[in-house]
Amino acid sequence: MHDQAPAIFIALEQSEFAAAIRQSTWLYPLANVGHIVSLVFFAGAVAVLDIRLLGGLAATEPGPLLARARTVAVAALAGMAATGFILFSAEASHLARNPVLQLKAGLIAAGLLNVALYEFGAKWAVEGLKPGAVMPARARIAGAVSLVTWVAVAACGRSIAYF
Amino acid sequence: MLRAVIGFTTIALLTGVALAHHGWGSYDAAKPVTVAGPVVTSKFENPHATVTVRGSDKVWTVILAPPSRMSSRGASDKVIAVGNNISAYGYPSTVEKDEMRAERITVDGKTYEMR
Repeated sequence: MHDQAPAIFIALEQSEFAAAIRQSTWLYPLANVGHIVSLVFFAGAVAVLDIRLLGGLAATEPGPLLARARTVAVAALAGMAATGFILFSAEASHLARNPVLQLKAGLIAAGLLNVALYEFGAKWAVEGLKPGAVMPARARIAGAVSLVTWVAVAACGRSIAYF
Repeated sequence: MLRAVIGFTTIALLTGVALAHHGWGSYDAAKPVTVAGPVVTSKFENPHATVTVRGSDKVWTVILAPPSRMSSRGASDKVIAVGNNISAYGYPSTVEKDEMRAERITVDGKTYEMR
C-alpha cells in the first residue's frame, strides 16, 4: 500500500475537478447516493435479464423483454459509471491501490466481456424464441455468469471502504 | 440450476454484508492512541476531513469525519484550523504508516465525537 499510484491517478486526484468534488459539501454525498440509486435500477434490470436468460419468466417472449430490460441496465450502468468516476476521482491515488477496487474493476471487465460474448455469440439464438421455449445453453451460461459477476461487483463495491 | 444460482447469490450477498460490518477493519481498535499537538495541515474535505498533527513522537495523519457530520457536531473548519492545538483519540492504521482514525477530538477544552 505504500507504493506510489500510477501518475495518471495522482494527476486525477490533484485536478481541479477532483478538488471541487472534495471541497463541495453536497457533491460527494450526492454522487454517493446517485451511485446506489443507479445500482438499484441496474440490479433490477439485471435480475430480469438473468432470470429470463436462465429460463425463468417463461411465459414471456424473451427477445422483447430482454431488449427492454437491457435499455434500463445500460442507462443505470451509465449512471453508475458517472457517479463512480466522481467518487473515485476524489481519492484516486488511494483507491487505485485498493485491492478490493482492483478486484471490482476486474470483475466489471469480466461482466462487460460476458455482455459482449452474449451480444455477438448468443443473442441470435434467443431473439426469435417463443414464450415457453427452452433457453439455449449459451444463454443460460451468460445469465449465470452475469448474476454471479454483478453480485460480486456489488459486494466488492460495498467493501472498498473497509480495506 | 436456478436454485443453485440463487443459493450462491445469497451466500455472496451475506459475505458482502459481513465484510461491510467491519467498518474499522484497517484500524487497530486494540491499540488506541492519543495524539496531541498543533495542527500542521488541515483539509475540511470529502470524503473525510483530515489533519496532520505534530505529536510528541512524530507527525500523525489524523482521519476525521465527513465534513457535513463535523459541521453538525460543531467541529467546523475553524476548529481544526492550522496552528490550533488538538488532541485526537483514535486507532492507528494497520495499513498506512503514521495514520490514525479519530474516535473523538478535543480542541480548546471542547470534545467532538467523530462517529
